[in-house]
Amino acid sequence: MNKRHDRPDKERVVVTGVGMATPLGTGREEFSRRLFQGESAVDVVQAFDTGGAASHLGAEVRGFEPREWISVKNLRRMDRLSMLTTASARLALSDAGITVKAENRDRVGILFGSAFGATDVTVQFEDALLAQGPGAVNPILVPNTVMNAPAGHASIELGFRGVNVTVTHFAVSAETAVAYAAFEIRRGTADVLLAGGADILSKFYYESLSRFRGLSPDDGGPEGAHPFDVRRNGYVAGEGCGLLCLESLSSARERGAKIYCEITGAGLGSSPAPPTAWPRDSKGFRRTFLRALDQARIEPPGVSAVMAAANGGRVLDAMEADAYEALFASCAGRPWVTSIKGALGESFSGGGIRACALALSVEKGCLPATVGLERPAAPLNFVVGKKVETDLKHTVLSGISFGGTYVCLVFGRCEP
Amino acid sequence: MSKQISAVSPRNMHLTFEPVHFKAQKLKDRPAPHAESGKCMHRGKRIVVTGMGTKNAIGGNVSEFARSLRAGVCGISKIELFDTGEFRTHKGGQVKDFDPRRSIPEEFSLKRMSRADALAMAAALEAVTDAGLYPLPENIKENMGVAIGGGAGGLLEAESFYADLLRKGKGRSKYSRLSSLFCASSADRIASGLELSGPRTTFMTACSAGATALGYARDLILYGHAGMMLAGGVEPMCRLTYAAFNALKSVDEDVCRPFDKSRSGLSLGEASAVLVLEPLESAQNRGAKIYGELMGYGVTCDSFHMTAPDGQASGAARSMRAALADSGLTAEDIDYINAHGTATPINDSTETRAIKEVFGSRAYRIPVSSTKSMHAHTLGASGALEGIVSLLALAKGFVPPTIHWRERDPECDLDYVTEGARRADLRAVLSNSFAFGGNNTTVVFGRYEGQGAVHE
Repeated sequence: MNKRHDRPDKERVVVTGVGMATPLGTGREEFSRRLFQGESAVDVVQAFDTGGAASHLGAEVRGFEPREWISVKNLRRMDRLSMLTTASARLALSDAGITVKAENRDRVGILFGSAFGATDVTVQFEDALLAQGPGAVNPILVPNTVMNAPAGHASIELGFRGVNVTVTHFAVSAETAVAYAAFEIRRGTADVLLAGGADILSKFYYESLSRFRGLSPDDGGPEGAHPFDVRRNGYVAGEGCGLLCLESLSSARERGAKIYCEITGAGLGSSPAPPTAWPRDSKGFRRTFLRALDQARIEPPGVSAVMAAANGGRVLDAMEADAYEALFASCAGRPWVTSIKGALGESFSGGGIRACALALSVEKGCLPATVGLERPAAPLNFVVGKKVETDLKHTVLSGISFGGTYVCLVFGRCEP
Repeated sequence: MSKQISAVSPRNMHLTFEPVHFKAQKLKDRPAPHAESGKCMHRGKRIVVTGMGTKNAIGGNVSEFARSLRAGVCGISKIELFDTGEFRTHKGGQVKDFDPRRSIPEEFSLKRMSRADALAMAAALEAVTDAGLYPLPENIKENMGVAIGGGAGGLLEAESFYADLLRKGKGRSKYSRLSSLFCASSADRIASGLELSGPRTTFMTACSAGATALGYARDLILYGHAGMMLAGGVEPMCRLTYAAFNALKSVDEDVCRPFDKSRSGLSLGEASAVLVLEPLESAQNRGAKIYGELMGYGVTCDSFHMTAPDGQASGAARSMRAALADSGLTAEDIDYINAHGTATPINDSTETRAIKEVFGSRAYRIPVSSTKSMHAHTLGASGALEGIVSLLALAKGFVPPTIHWRERDPECDLDYVTEGARRADLRAVLSNSFAFGGNNTTVVFGRYEGQGAVHE
């Protein structure tokens, strides 16, 4: 029945490592423990004064010590986004048991996604330029104003010289990076690719999000992150980095690597929507979801669980719930649905962290709870209260962006 | 947790180095187009370019651009978009007299569009129209996607907003002016404006973004994720970019002089460039004109320095080799190299060295030119803009010149086409784009002969 195995092992893409620097901890062990315990990282923002905004909560990466992961020589030139990314890259490679050396460095690379890049550096640069003039700008900041800086810094610190690409498409930046990385592994242009994304919180960025009226509370009610909940009133902003280590099944087998899961399908699509608005109609998203299932050669009843994009926003969560109701209407046992944005906030390129969480879920046969969800707004099979242990054969990572762009990825248990 | 410290073994590497899907097949030996027998390079599909659109310093559209490239027109002049009084330099390659409403019909709203969005939208509409696809039929909209190499996005407008905010304080400023700040906005505006439902992606690899977008768009079609793609790049002129390159002291005060002995830096420019990519059979079935074929591309990383190229030229050479391998071509098949050629002292000597490493003695017999001497360095758009240059060269049978060149540099000793454009019958063209962060992309285009071929 499962026909995807007629693909040669060289063209089957598996996840062999995860690396992350998140509000729920840095590195697999801490992240996994706190995620599956159902801990929330949402708290009053400490890194900067939120007095200029209507909201005060955030999910911050705290206690991150860059010197543990990055050499002093390279650290000097890095901004915070590059530090989180480089640390995650080191962790993902080490989790996969891969050492970059002269023989393999041209076949190891990174597909990195960021929605907004180093907003802190851009503001610092513009402050000097617009207030004091071109003579006042600091040349060392220049490369970090461009979004490809984190992938460049990571490549210099870790020495890999293969495919190196940065994509940005708002809230599907990281999902797009993972999909592209999977094509590249299938095409054979690289042996090992890190894939995922990162975004950071900064003062100006937080204030701007607040002005766009997406942040909780958009109605003056109590502030909080409640994906799919009737009480939801906007998202809580988050930050962090998550990177998967991808390689072909043949390469993973040859070196006896542990395999978290297989990426068996990807769907990419869009639907016309006003700029910066979340789409209301679920048709475009459903079509993209089905494209991904089609690639993985499964039908909706074959889906065991969905890692949803819902962040507590009124429009996004309603549209996504509506899509799953329609997609799984005829299924006898409905798939589990969970969103980790109640615990980690909305970091836009959080698809990288979510991909790591899903890879861990498939490997453990366990789904983390939707933190902040108590009274579901839709009749779906949500993971509420605490984690569930269940067999996860085929799972879907849903990526949805404002502006109407969708990327869905199918993560399946890797079977021979 | 597994602790296999040994990396990908050399044996394994040898295996994966073998071209898997791509049977090498030289362009000159290819069967006549009418007798194609399914011997195609990539999963049975050849991807061709059937429409192009651009706004840049030497062309308000593709045909004007082609005339300027042949005539060796210089588009680098005094910057008028913002005051350069406090800067060390004052010149750049601006899109002149750009009025969005003249290029974009009434049915498309210009509300909250940045200059970058409007430049990209204008190029996309020209490309779709050029491909004979405007207005787009419903069945094509469903499967058409957009991949754009981005740059400064709406930063030009955001800078005006931010300057106001610094002056007047937060209470008075309209943050909605930031809604088109990020460069992914351009792909969203094109896709939503044209009511497309295919994939949307934006690349942000600085000066190689436009080239990577072309390659990725081809892959999306090859892997069945899109039926057709609009692929390209857009870069607006803005203060941050201008200040950044000035702070790095990599801008020439006058005009850039690629490969010249006394070259002292680049000229910054702005542009949009969008191409329509589709499978050959789709183009033939609908009787479209075909500019050429996107044969392959390669992406590598220097892993050396954030703003300087590796003097050993390894990343650049590997990028060209990867693109040739992906295309199923060899160094013998390339008849023109559209160089990255920024005119910074280090880029031009490094690129020359890389070309010699890849092409051996043949390097001296292949014309190499930098059209940045005419349209300036358009950063995120440059890979796509120079993709249009490469396809025009193939379709119209000429090699565009490197202008402003005066004196030979012993480290740059190739044929840089400094005497003006040449007539030439080209089989395949290789186009380089190298970026900050060590991001290198090379794209290879091939001549197409057969039904629909554009030839002069």
